Amino acid sequence: MMQSRTAYARISADPYDWPSDGTLEPTNTGLIVIDMQMDFCGYGGYCDQMGIDMSLTRRPIEPLQMVLERMRAHDFHILHTREGHRADLSDLNKNKRWRSARNGAEIGSQGPLGRILVRGEPGWEIVPELAPQPGEPIIDKPGKGSFYATDLDQILRQRGIRNLIFAGVTTDCCVYTTLRGANDRGYECLLLEDCCAASEVANHEAVVRITKSNGGQLGAVSSSEHVLETVV
Amino acid sequence: MPISVEGSYPWPFDGRLEKDNTALLIVDMQVDFCAPGGWLDQLGVDLTALRRPLDPLRRVLNASRSSGFRTIYLRESYRPDLSDLNRTKLWRTTHRGVAIGANGANGRVLVRGQPGTDIVPELAPQSGEPVIDKPGMSGFYASELEQVLRGQGIRNLIVGGVTAEGSVQATLRDANDRGYECLLLEDCCGAAVPQDGKATLEMLSILNGLYGSIAHSAALLKAIE
Repeated sequence: MMQSRTAYARISADPYDWPSDGTLEPTNTGLIVIDMQMDFCGYGGYCDQMGIDMSLTRRPIEPLQMVLERMRAHDFHILHTREGHRADLSDLNKNKRWRSARNGAEIGSQGPLGRILVRGEPGWEIVPELAPQPGEPIIDKPGKGSFYATDLDQILRQRGIRNLIFAGVTTDCCVYTTLRGANDRGYECLLLEDCCAASEVANHEAVVRITKSNGGQLGAVSSSEHVLETVV
Repeated sequence: MPISVEGSYPWPFDGRLEKDNTALLIVDMQVDFCAPGGWLDQLGVDLTALRRPLDPLRRVLNASRSSGFRTIYLRESYRPDLSDLNRTKLWRTTHRGVAIGANGANGRVLVRGQPGTDIVPELAPQSGEPVIDKPGMSGFYASELEQVLRGQGIRNLIVGGVTAEGSVQATLRDANDRGYECLLLEDCCGAAVPQDGKATLEMLSILNGLYGSIAHSAALLKAIE
């Protein structure tokens, strides 16, 4: 029954119901879950060890589990990203390495769950609550934006995806940089406010406000609740 | 002794500030965004905060040229047939009241070759200074910027312009991912919504400068003059 659906109503959103042209279909729409990795939001990961309040970056997990389950059942595209570098750090910019060392967490050095932000290490894995399923593309990226030095754009085009729903951490860093990249490329973007989080609430709120201002200059903003009431 | 600029951290990170590897990147200081009769003015946006960077940027531009740094200008603009304009953006700007491509007081809004896309006269480009057209917020998307930076051997970017919350931060974020060492001049950035410009500078300053160092133009002038 569910699989026979091809078109859905617009998702209730601010400042306009999304997508703007009403073409919400499982074939042309993807949920992109950004950087929900152990070192950022897992217990025992790097941020946890640093004493950072995990309730902030773990807040998206529960609503995201519901959105993932529902969108999977309706055959929407699901994509994941991970920030991380090659073991030899050949893809790590020198200034990024320098800044991370200055902040006491040098990329490539030993952390509580293996080498920090190195591909293949336990701290770099996606948290088990949101584990990717077979067939869901995982994009490994060496930067904040998911379009730089990755095959994301190629995969989106190849699958015919033009509507993108954004979730993950952190709102003001990797989520926002990727959202901006997607908007410049013409993707119609929706930010799920309760499925994203930042280390500072004020920055999260500023991103939400800027995204939807000027008539939705980067897209629209909604929540898991509205996705769940539309995708039924 | 190497020169460095006092900011979020002493910039550039490795002390390599040289005339051959450094450029001043001026973002979207064009009539449509920050001059009377331009697009934002027609939309009723208060130009005060958008014109605030004019004086400090002019001082920086003069000092930067004297120091032998390159100057590169960006401007947001579209082809006359709008074939490079995303439908999402056309739809949104139509709903704002003045669509990209519509006729305005300075010609067709944000269309290449129209007076509205000229850099404001206070910061006019000199002969030989590249002006790079881009069809989005980030200077790196669908433009020649990266090619020009590579061609000229630029590694350090000094960034200012409008809007802080829009094209300036989009360009800064993409430059940083690409390994460019960026200095954002806080007083040389203008905002369409002052509250959003302020919030943007705050989020860009996390972790002691996650996307580059942030400084006042006075610190740069002190270092290079």
